[in-house]
Amino acid sequence: MTPALTSILAGFTVPMRIDTDPASMLWLLPLVVAIAVVYKATKVDKIKASAFVRETAVLIGSILVFIVVAAIILHGVAWFVTEQLPGLRGGSSF
Amino acid sequence: MASSWKDNHALFLVVVGTLAWLVPGAGHFAIDERRRAYVIGVTILLTFLVGLYVGSIGVIDPVGAKPWYAAQMMNSPAVFLLGRHVTAVNRQAQAETRQESAVVPYAVYGRPNEIGQIYTSIAGLLNLLCIVNAIYMAHLQSIGETDG
Repeated sequence: MTPALTSILAGFTVPMRIDTDPASMLWLLPLVVAIAVVYKATKVDKIKASAFVRETAVLIGSILVFIVVAAIILHGVAWFVTEQLPGLRGGSSF
Repeated sequence: MASSWKDNHALFLVVVGTLAWLVPGAGHFAIDERRRAYVIGVTILLTFLVGLYVGSIGVIDPVGAKPWYAAQMMNSPAVFLLGRHVTAVNRQAQAETRQESAVVPYAVYGRPNEIGQIYTSIAGLLNLLCIVNAIYMAHLQSIGETDG
């Protein structure tokens, strides 16, 4: 077995180092692409490269827009509950 | 008398479903949906391998993460062999140190564990979608051939 292949296989036995920071959320992007590609592959009548890429791109965009909108709404709710509500009720909400 | 194995409708659907589970995309390949098969096979395999690379094979945990393992099993029966290997190696390490809480060789925690489990499980659930789709398409083909 070549050293390169051994190194690649060894990579599957040790986890990567990923910090718990906002940048780690970028790991959702490849997953969204995979979900959109497989979903579209099961939905279209015939797979033709240009039409398939276009439809997949639209689905990826739709999912990302939905995620961003959901994140903004949830952030707003969390901000209201933790920052505004205690002031209205005259104390901590927890 | 049956002229081909496709004439036995139920058996044909079972074979297509089993192929789709054994190798992602193989179900569609068997019903002559070659492009679909390549797209599905490559995408699901890549997603699964990325998950394994990020979290290591320790993310396949038949003991401590049964719901995730059930979803991962939808990828292929090969996951069962990986799970057995991981469990055996971890149990051996615990037996050697004689401690349940011993640090096991395939231990994985935190964000790599989460991302690895999510990727491998989503790959499995996507393959489940493809298994159902391959069976459905095989059913439609059979009906089409019978009617035609």
